[in-house]
Amino acid sequence: MFNSNYDEGWLLMSFDISYSKIPNYKSLLHEKFKDNVERMYHKNNNEIHVLLNNPESGPQVVYFVYDELKCRLVTMICNDEREINNRYDGKYENNNNDNNNVNFVCKRDNGFTLRYILSKEDEDIFFIVTLTLSDPNNLVYPSIVSKIPSAVYYEREIHDMFGVKAEGNPDTRKLVLHEQWPDKLYPLRKDFNIKTKVEKRSKGYYPFLKVEGEGICEIPVGPVHAGIIEPGHFRFSIYGENIINLETRLFYAHKGVEKLAETINLDQALLLSERIAGDESVANSMAYCQAIERMTSIQIPKKANQIRTVCAELERIWNHLGTIAGISTDVGFAYGSSRMNILKENMMRLNEKISGSRLLFGVNQIGGVKIDIKEDALQIILDETNQVLYDFDTLVKLLQNTSSFMNRLTGTGIISRKAVVDLGANGIIARCIGVDVDTRKNHPYAYYTDLDFDIIQDIHNKIQYEIELNKRKGDALSRFEIRVNEIKHSVNIIQKIINDIQYSNTFKDNKHDDNLVSHDLKNYLKPYDNALGYAESHRGQTLHWVMLGEDTNHIFRYKVRTASFCNWPLIEQAVQNNIVPDFPLINKSFDLSYSGNDL
Amino acid sequence: MKDIVDDKSKGRRFRFKNMLPSSHKDRYHSDILNNKIDTMPDPINNLEFISENFKGKVGVILSKDSNSDLIEKKNRIEDVCLTKAIKIMSQEGEGGGRRGSLEVTVDNGKCFLCGRCEDAYPSIFKLEKKLKFATKNKEKLVESFDLSFEDSHTKSFNVDERDYHDLSYEQIGTELKKKIENIFGRSLAIREVDAGSCNGCEIEITALNNPIYDIERFGIHFVSSPRHADALLVTGPVSQNMKVALEKTYNATPAPKIVIAAGACACSGGIFGDTYATTCGVDNVLPVDVYIPGCPPRPEALIYGLFIAIEKIKP
Repeated sequence: MFNSNYDEGWLLMSFDISYSKIPNYKSLLHEKFKDNVERMYHKNNNEIHVLLNNPESGPQVVYFVYDELKCRLVTMICNDEREINNRYDGKYENNNNDNNNVNFVCKRDNGFTLRYILSKEDEDIFFIVTLTLSDPNNLVYPSIVSKIPSAVYYEREIHDMFGVKAEGNPDTRKLVLHEQWPDKLYPLRKDFNIKTKVEKRSKGYYPFLKVEGEGICEIPVGPVHAGIIEPGHFRFSIYGENIINLETRLFYAHKGVEKLAETINLDQALLLSERIAGDESVANSMAYCQAIERMTSIQIPKKANQIRTVCAELERIWNHLGTIAGISTDVGFAYGSSRMNILKENMMRLNEKISGSRLLFGVNQIGGVKIDIKEDALQIILDETNQVLYDFDTLVKLLQNTSSFMNRLTGTGIISRKAVVDLGANGIIARCIGVDVDTRKNHPYAYYTDLDFDIIQDIHNKIQYEIELNKRKGDALSRFEIRVNEIKHSVNIIQKIINDIQYSNTFKDNKHDDNLVSHDLKNYLKPYDNALGYAESHRGQTLHWVMLGEDTNHIFRYKVRTASFCNWPLIEQAVQNNIVPDFPLINKSFDLSYSGNDL
Repeated sequence: MKDIVDDKSKGRRFRFKNMLPSSHKDRYHSDILNNKIDTMPDPINNLEFISENFKGKVGVILSKDSNSDLIEKKNRIEDVCLTKAIKIMSQEGEGGGRRGSLEVTVDNGKCFLCGRCEDAYPSIFKLEKKLKFATKNKEKLVESFDLSFEDSHTKSFNVDERDYHDLSYEQIGTELKKKIENIFGRSLAIREVDAGSCNGCEIEITALNNPIYDIERFGIHFVSSPRHADALLVTGPVSQNMKVALEKTYNATPAPKIVIAAGACACSGGIFGDTYATTCGVDNVLPVDVYIPGCPPRPEALIYGLFIAIEKIKP
């Protein structure tokens, strides 16, 4: 993996096997698309940038990477680069131990750029296919939805926010901005002031899909829901109790986070990234910090990585406990849910002892972490997580012995493998049907690079693991069981990391680094530099793409795609052939964030 | 490991003794299935459960030496705070050679406890373990620390009628029950509306229903429809897309009704502030009766805010 040399103040990343395959991919793409590719380079250790010279050639390159190289589309980013001049799109020239970074100016036409980000799951590589639309009167590009259905939502969002139209996308309804927003006003363009308040347009209605027939009724639910939950609208078409069709309409919690990030400085945007979704604060802030840290070649101290990973796993545990408690409530088993909530409260109190905040706000900082976990705190974490795991085992046995609970969960909300692959789902939703996508294993970051997941997840035999993956049915019960297993794995990870910290504390040598932050990171940032940061929250993979401005203390474009954005379309597939009273259970077994989707 | 049920009773179906894993027997003891989990008896006055490094409230340490510092660096100090919750005002002295007074105000409704002020000026600001308490008027959320030429003192928050700190939780609870009975019958029904929050406040509100805080023992419960509700508990800076839904919910609630704004975002827009997609706080949309500051407000602070709300209603 990474060879790190702690004697120096900062480190040079050396490259591992995946780097050696990058020239192969570059030559493969170059040979096939010679005429269309203007330039190709790789940067930030695992990003391969492919710059196209013609928007029309976008689909064929993307389809090639999607089919032949077996990648998944993870996001599409549009950026208003009409006013940038002399932009550095830097490339690092690292010749083994040479410290010199050679940047060259990438002179391109000004206009709107569109980036397709595709990730390869069996190797740690991201492909970023970029095209530019320079004609301001013709902001149209060919759509890719005919082969990649998950692109529908990205293209609709880009159209709402930038006015750049995807030709060939059949769904032309507004996604982000609701009916009171006038046409032809696009918030994320640079000439739109953030504080603009629009006049209300005349009332329009969002055209839902209508199902017609004798005996078919339509039930609208939301945005104010019956429990203590976030806002969102669901339109059911039912026949008796059976659900024939469900259509979700979200973005009621849209607050303009991406535009707000362009007006504040780097450190304040960290605070904003924590509050995109309050229960994913460690994962989101970690992804943001990693995006900025990957722009430089500086590696943050080892202890900071360890603390980040411990906090990320603690966040995973308390969230899974909360979800299982919620599943129990929605099934009607109040005893189980009240017991689970006691464990969740214990975990939140542990969070407070470590970081001063019950939701682990304020853990991360650009270049490291803000909190320190000392000797006695380490022991407290170990004891408390073991006690919670012990109680949790008892409770799970109780739940699994309650036949009414198991009966409700078995066979409810089944999703198909094809839907998961086509719609690009990630996280628990993908794993419950056997698609083993996990950012901690596929694209390791923070301290996960030093952990062996085969030991942590108790995988003794690869073939047996594959068989077990294929047996997962994709119903609510499998999602419940995956969460139960993940809690155990998280406790294992925390134990291993704490053992490592205690070991290095006892054997202090001059290689030991007690720093928590690398302070000089900000000196290595360059204007208009960009990087991708990613992390695995308890819902799935969250992706943050940051492009700095002219003044490196401000952000030019901040694109966030949390795991919930990819997974919401799957609910519409999961409720088919189920009854209406099972909908709260299915919704809770997915446990997606409305605010993380809406930003 | 003994059974959780009494030996005297017969015919119980569940025997948990054999279900516990034997390897953990010596180290851990599980009470989780027991019905005797200790509910917190006094969440407001007994603050032992709160850990030492809890970020509760911003406190200002003023001394005579910091006086000149604050006046000189006024703009820089105010810029550290993202939501502009800190303001420094200095007034000239009133003749006779007295020094002017200096007043530092912290708006608890805007502060979301990021700690940047303490990082930049640790001699002046300090995050304390105290809870931020709810208020009825928005002006009372602004806490001022002033230094006249005498020693510094902090004006503490005041509740209009009475200071609750001398009474025990049980006494408050019984008084509350009487008030509720007078106005609403025997209970308070709350409808919680999320107007675009990040979900942090919802997690703390959901924690009110767990066996440790257990708000239902005082007759306060959460209902599923605004038609059944007496109070609306609103979180989040009201996003433009949720504005109509929130107004409709308010109109559907029958009178007498109260509106409680929970969290820094609901009090003043919080970190999201004033954008094209938010309305900068609930009081720009609905008339608010109680403001509960915090990001997110602890369950103890939420309970305190609900008590304040009940006092406010006059039949």
